Amino acid sequence: MSDSDKKARILIVEDDIKLNEQLKQLMHAEGFEVSQSFDGEQGLLMAMRETFDLILLDVALPVKNGYAVLKTLRQSRITPVMMITAHGAEEERITGFRNGADDYLSKPFNLTELLLRIEAILRRSKPEDISRPNLTTLRTGGLEADKNRQQVIFNGKQLTFTPIQFKLLWTLMQHPSQTLSKPTLYRLVLEREFSRYDRSLDMHMSRVRRKLTAAGMPPDSLQTVHGTGYMLR
Amino acid sequence: MKRRLLWKLSGVIVAGSVLLFWLIHILVSKTEQQMSFIDEAHQKTLYDYAARAEQLYMAGDEAGLTDWLQTIRYKEDTWVAVVQPELRTLAGSELSQDFRERFRLGRSIEWKIHLYFKTNPVMDIIFNDGRTHFLITLPQRMRPGTYWQQANLLLQIALPMLLMTIISMVIYRHVMSPLRQLERATQQFSQGDFEVRLRSSLGGRQDEITALADTFDAMAERIGKLIRSQRHLTSDLSHELRTPLTRIELALSWAEQNSPNCEPLQRIREECQQMRQMVEDTLSFAWLESEQPELRTDDLDLTDLVDSIVDNARFEFPSHHIELKLPEHAPLYQSSARALGHAIENIIRNALIHTAIDGSVNVKLSRTAEQYQLDIDDEGPGIAEKYLQAIFKPFFRLGQSSRHHYDGFGVGLSLAKRQVEAVGGRLSAHNLDPKGLRMRIILPAPARD
Repeated sequence: MSDSDKKARILIVEDDIKLNEQLKQLMHAEGFEVSQSFDGEQGLLMAMRETFDLILLDVALPVKNGYAVLKTLRQSRITPVMMITAHGAEEERITGFRNGADDYLSKPFNLTELLLRIEAILRRSKPEDISRPNLTTLRTGGLEADKNRQQVIFNGKQLTFTPIQFKLLWTLMQHPSQTLSKPTLYRLVLEREFSRYDRSLDMHMSRVRRKLTAAGMPPDSLQTVHGTGYMLR
Repeated sequence: MKRRLLWKLSGVIVAGSVLLFWLIHILVSKTEQQMSFIDEAHQKTLYDYAARAEQLYMAGDEAGLTDWLQTIRYKEDTWVAVVQPELRTLAGSELSQDFRERFRLGRSIEWKIHLYFKTNPVMDIIFNDGRTHFLITLPQRMRPGTYWQQANLLLQIALPMLLMTIISMVIYRHVMSPLRQLERATQQFSQGDFEVRLRSSLGGRQDEITALADTFDAMAERIGKLIRSQRHLTSDLSHELRTPLTRIELALSWAEQNSPNCEPLQRIREECQQMRQMVEDTLSFAWLESEQPELRTDDLDLTDLVDSIVDNARFEFPSHHIELKLPEHAPLYQSSARALGHAIENIIRNALIHTAIDGSVNVKLSRTAEQYQLDIDDEGPGIAEKYLQAIFKPFFRLGQSSRHHYDGFGVGLSLAKRQVEAVGGRLSAHNLDPKGLRMRIILPAPARD
């Protein structure tokens, strides 16, 4: 965890005892402080009584289901909530059960997916790094971007990008040689959560990469870190 | 009651025909009656002719009377005379009072004219003295029933035709409208609306057609139940697998953290990945089948989509070669990047699985005026021609004897086909010469600017 001052506190509300236990162990090993709850009613009480940085909330819960818990919680708390559902990602998106959750993760998921999403949520709810100056132009390698003019210049040649493509490149340039995960990029660039079959980011990235390569940039400067996200060297 | 519709129909037809014949008879005789009398204005003219003649006769002006009769003859182009008949009895017979009073030489003006006689009758107006008769052959212009022929045709042919047409339409509607409803219901049912029922929409009738509706409803109920339970079974099963699969994946992560680079664990990871893919695909398939959701909501560039999928595939299959040919842009409107992406990904993965290591898969996107064509060619063994359609059925398996790569397809290809069709495209499989399989996706292209 990059946040070394204080461990992030996570509440797991999941009725499957084994899964709850496994999540606790893994989260704990990742350096989170974890609390557990096994039904909706108790989970809601804990969420109201204590302060958490994130709540992992299963949808199908005994006593009070996840959506009901979230609805009540949202009346007084803005704690980030990630719903864990047993529906397909696509189905969940179209049925549009939004209800104020910060993210959705559909089962089955693996640890990497879970951690990337948690990181993206925590990064967003954390105040921005004040030490980073608020620049309007960035330079990496032969690449130069001007935020005010929305202009990109590579080796003296001007390239045209759509606003989203520019935002994507800008965000990557803000974090050179750092892997930005898909969940993070979705939040920073497209301003929504990432779901499994969402291709928007990949498609924008593919276009950005082809424009840069056509202008003479080495293809491996903009790297796909498979299973994670993207990185600009 | 059995054969209710039969009784109903024959009742309508029999009663309708009898009623029709009776009606026509009444109408014809009434109309003939109505049309057989001399028009009142003409009656008055005839009376006036007679009155003037009587006046001249009574005044003893025989020359005037002769002139007057001549005038009438000339004017009406007819025969006219003033006559005093003499009745002589023979053989001692006597005339009754009644006969004397009613004795006439021609027809009274008020009497009806028999229209079936071609010649005009002689009309008789008796003067006040009771023995002088003004006789005139009815002038042609005063003959009633000029339009009788037409009226007769109208009543005996046109009217029954019209009425029979109306009766037929009523019968047709009575029989056809429920049949149309049945047709509509059958159509809805075939489009996946298993809730459709017919009987309640037919109201209170009770006959052979409602019996058919009852049978349809029973069939719909049974088939609907079967299909729903079949779907539920598939989706419930995949659903139930989700939590244990998550537990396996997490346990695996735990094990991997403790002993990294352990080969058996990597194998389990791969198998897990496959199982997960199968569950996801099966659920998506069941969902598409049962919900038939509207997917066509995105505008996208097919070039970007295929490029990003191939980028992922190159990572997943590092020892294969993927030859990629894409146009600079391939805009697609009101489509679905998710559904199409998922489909193309499944097809490319399938092609890579069936191509030997170091072999290559060719992906080529091109467009004609009206459509995009995406060909994904592998270097696998291809498929027997007779199975080229069947591989799109979920969990289709080639016969037990075949032991090569293509022995099972899971649900990936059937899902891909559904997804491509859901955005208005087509997916088909073709064998390549000398070997290999081509998957071809055809998508409608927007008109060029």
